[in-house]
Amino acid sequence: MINAVSHSLGDFCSALRRRCCTGIGGLLFLCAGLCLGQVTWADEDPQVTVNDAYINVHNGPGRGYPVFHVVERGEVITLLKSRTDWIKIKTYRGKTGWVRRSDMQHTLGPDGQPPVFADPAREDYLTDRFELGVALGDFQGADSLTGTLGYRFTEHLTAELRVAQNTGQFSDSQILAVALLHQPFPEWRVSPFFSLGTGEIKTQPSATLVESEDRKDTLIQASLGSYIHLTGRFFMRVEYTNHMILTSRNNNEEVNEWKVGFNIFF
Amino acid sequence: MESWFQHLFLMRKPLMKALCAAGLGGLLMAGAPVALAQYADDEDELGQIISPDIERRTIKEEMIDSENFEFGAFYGLLGIEDFGTNEVVGVTMAYHITEDLFAEASYAASRLQKTSYELLSGGVQLLTDDERDLTYYNLSLGYNLFPGRIHISDKWAFNTRIYVIAGAGNTQFASKDYFTYNFGAGLRFFATDWVSFDLSMRDHVFTHELFGESKQTHNLEGRLGLSLFF
Repeated sequence: MINAVSHSLGDFCSALRRRCCTGIGGLLFLCAGLCLGQVTWADEDPQVTVNDAYINVHNGPGRGYPVFHVVERGEVITLLKSRTDWIKIKTYRGKTGWVRRSDMQHTLGPDGQPPVFADPAREDYLTDRFELGVALGDFQGADSLTGTLGYRFTEHLTAELRVAQNTGQFSDSQILAVALLHQPFPEWRVSPFFSLGTGEIKTQPSATLVESEDRKDTLIQASLGSYIHLTGRFFMRVEYTNHMILTSRNNNEEVNEWKVGFNIFF
Repeated sequence: MESWFQHLFLMRKPLMKALCAAGLGGLLMAGAPVALAQYADDEDELGQIISPDIERRTIKEEMIDSENFEFGAFYGLLGIEDFGTNEVVGVTMAYHITEDLFAEASYAASRLQKTSYELLSGGVQLLTDDERDLTYYNLSLGYNLFPGRIHISDKWAFNTRIYVIAGAGNTQFASKDYFTYNFGAGLRFFATDWVSFDLSMRDHVFTHELFGESKQTHNLEGRLGLSLFF
């Protein structure tokens, strides 16, 4: 009797779970579809044929996820999507899993050639156009946080938009600036650069100080620094910046800033 | 091998057919034009079989949809030292650089309660109503530590990841910005490849002088988030 009850309870639970999951899944799917509108089925996913003894299929996009399946030589697999260095595939029997991007070298496309995939270890980041960076620094005693968006015209020349927030004991300030950055040796692992920029700095002295008037001044930035290639498209960037603040007072103000941060090319 | 087979079977059959037809045509003169027309038809068919109209395309990386961006929203509790523990709501955006590393930007809003001093003293107000609105943003770098799997029943298994994260940003309240470091860890639960739930903790560290002297505060946050990969 108890067994029967627990059985039927178990069945009910699993049915409920199934319904909940499909319900939630459907809802999310709808949301995503509405948000993005880029879910396309029209394009056929590309297919390749395995050209090695076997390729391991993991059950998640990471080396720590276990291998649960292998695809053998001659098997046709469909490439569904990629995440970082992993590609989601579907076997001809409908099993889905993740294979390393580097394993694509051991497959053949419809033209009899391996797919043209960049080697993740030696990714040609120099062909990437955009660059996003974050840096922490010391802005003459204040803590600074800078975000940069760069567009690379050539391998050597980058235009950059900089937004910074400096938080200090006596005043806070925000900087919005544009700059040109030149890298003489972009292919070096440690690649030096210099840059010149101009923008605006908005300073708010702390409310506790007597002369608490917000100021807006023009500013000129000169920087010297270096990119340090870490992995793939990921860089560290160290930088020294000299800010010349052109104030409306008698003297211009000069601020030196040291920054360290990370940049991604994409 | 394949082409040899094709050659043997696809070439021979129509050829034989044509030859037979031609032979018959020779015997029966009236049938000849018909046979020739059929031969031409077969040739067309043959052409289609031998060189099918398939685009021999080279597979490139751009042909596969890449899912390295993640957008999410979270809800949780944020304890601000001296100002009570309050609800916090925020949004996050992350970019997955490698399978281990990701960069995350987040923005959140909360509201402060009265301090014990304000409550006990009766009328004293340290902050105005507007000054009790707290917002913060930060930019952080995360590292995925332990990949795993949660088995809910014999049919359901979900991928998980434990990650650590650290970064910096600004917290704004009491009409001032406070430079804030954040440290944290979390468990990410993948419902599917592109939907994940995130249960995580953060410590927001900043220094303020609201009570006269400089004081470093650790403000703990626990939160539950939902994010989608694009």
